[in-house]
This record gives sequence, structure tokens and C-alpha cells, in this order.
Amino acid sequence: MTAEAEVLGELRRLRARVPQLTGALAASADGLVLARDAADAEGAEHVAALTATALGVAQRLTDATGQGGFRELLVQGEHGYVATYAAGGSAVLTLLAEPRINVGRLHLEARRSSARIGALVDEALERRPDPRPQRRPEPRTPATAPAKSGPLPVRPPAAAPAVPPLPTHHPKEA
Amino acid sequence: MANTETALKEATTIIDGAIGAALVDYTSGMALGTVGGGKDLDLNVAAAGNTDVVRAKVRTMEMLGLNEEIEDILITLGSQYHLIRLLRSRGSNGLFLYLALDKSRANLAMARHQLRKIEASLEI
Repeated sequence: MTAEAEVLGELRRLRARVPQLTGALAASADGLVLARDAADAEGAEHVAALTATALGVAQRLTDATGQGGFRELLVQGEHGYVATYAAGGSAVLTLLAEPRINVGRLHLEARRSSARIGALVDEALERRPDPRPQRRPEPRTPATAPAKSGPLPVRPPAAAPAVPPLPTHHPKEA
Repeated sequence: MANTETALKEATTIIDGAIGAALVDYTSGMALGTVGGGKDLDLNVAAAGNTDVVRAKVRTMEMLGLNEEIEDILITLGSQYHLIRLLRSRGSNGLFLYLALDKSRANLAMARHQLRKIEASLEI
């Protein structure tokens, strides 16, 4: 199964779990539709593009106020909600919901789904063959990716192992 | 008159066997405040989930044509009681108090009585 189909499956499961959702779409951080459930194609593209714009502002806002990376965005209109959740490093999950939705549940379910979608998208990006051999893939974080000129920053060799070394065994303390 | 935080603290300290308490807005499913809970009982999950319980019961009553108000809802588990008390004073419509109790340490009649008193003293 392709990543698109799996992401679409996740969107459908999410809508089944939260019946007050009126639309769901996964988009790349730069505003392209990855998968959508409901909403016509044109509408979805429009929403994805707007999401990317809102995401840019939201990211700058969290940066400027020292709140770290973007996690989620909730907008309430008179007739419902629009919610956007970060999904991995390069995608977002955008949901439309009725005004009477249980926002607590929306957050719980959408955070889980966005984590799954993020994993699917990130994995698919890693699997994609790199057209430039001998080069490591660019970091996928969108707005913060460094300019391409110049050599890539070099990670300090083995200075920070991903997993800390296991503590040496001590005889059991009383 | 107690604010949300003190009322919830009171609920978890004076009521025997209390594990956690939350004040929840069931129009949104979000908790206005939580006390206790922890790793074994995520009160934000409980707030969202029990919002659906309350909404379902309110809808059922409407469908049954019962022109009544829900005072409280009791859920009995193997080792816990979960008590939901809907607030009815002016200005606190659409809110409920949620209290999780350890069944072996709790006195249900006393817990309901104390929760009623806490509701009366609560100011939002």
C-alpha cells in the first residue's frame, strides 16, 4: 500500500471515530494536498494552501514568543472549527468540525492521528530514492531548513549518541 | 465561596478515597481544572470521554420526553466509582464536576453529600 492510501485510511478512521468532523485532509507544510476525506478536490487544495499560510504565521508566532516548534492551531468560527495539527516534520493534519464538537476529544483523537500520519509521511520520504547520490538527504523541517549553499553542517562525531550508554552494573543496594 | 482550584483540592482532600477530580465544560469537552489523577488516570481524557457520557444522557432524556434535569451520574467499576455531578447554579450551566474514587476506601453516600456541598460553594 502506498503512503497516500495509508494516510487516507487514517483520515477515514479518524472521521469514523469523531463523527462531528465535516472534513479532514493531510497536506504538506508547503500547502499541497497529500490525502483528503470529504470536501471537493478544489476546496481541499484551497484549504491546504490557506493552512500553509496560517502555519507560517503560527510558526513565526511560536518562535517569536519562545514557545518552541509549532504543534497545533485551533480556529473557531460561528459555524464550526478549523483545527491544524503538526504531523511529523513536513506535514500537517487539518480538520473541519461542527460547532458542537467535543473539542477535548477532537484534540485527543487528532493528536494521535497526526502522529501516525507524520510517521507515515516521514517514512515515505525516507524510502523515496534520492536523485543525488553520495549526498545525505536534506533535513525535512520546512521553514527552518538552512540555505543550500555551502557544506552541510557536520554533526559532532559520536559526541551525542542517540541512546545514552547503559549504566554500569552496580550490586543491588539495600 | 471557593474558586475552581480550591474546590477541586477540597474534593480530593476531604472526600475519602478520592483519586482525582475535574471541572469540565461539556459544551467543549475541555477541563477547566483538574486535581489528582496522574499516570493511571489522565483527567483530560476523562473530561473528553465523560463529556460524551453527559451529552448522550441529556439527549436520551430529551428523546424520552423527560422534562427533568440530571443531578448526578454514577459509574461503578470493579475497583472505582466515577461520580459526575452537573452544576446547575446560574453562570455555571454546561459544566460538570467529575470525581474518581477508590471503591475500597470510599463511602458513596458521604461522597455524594460532600460533592453537593462543594458544588454549592463553588464560584466560577
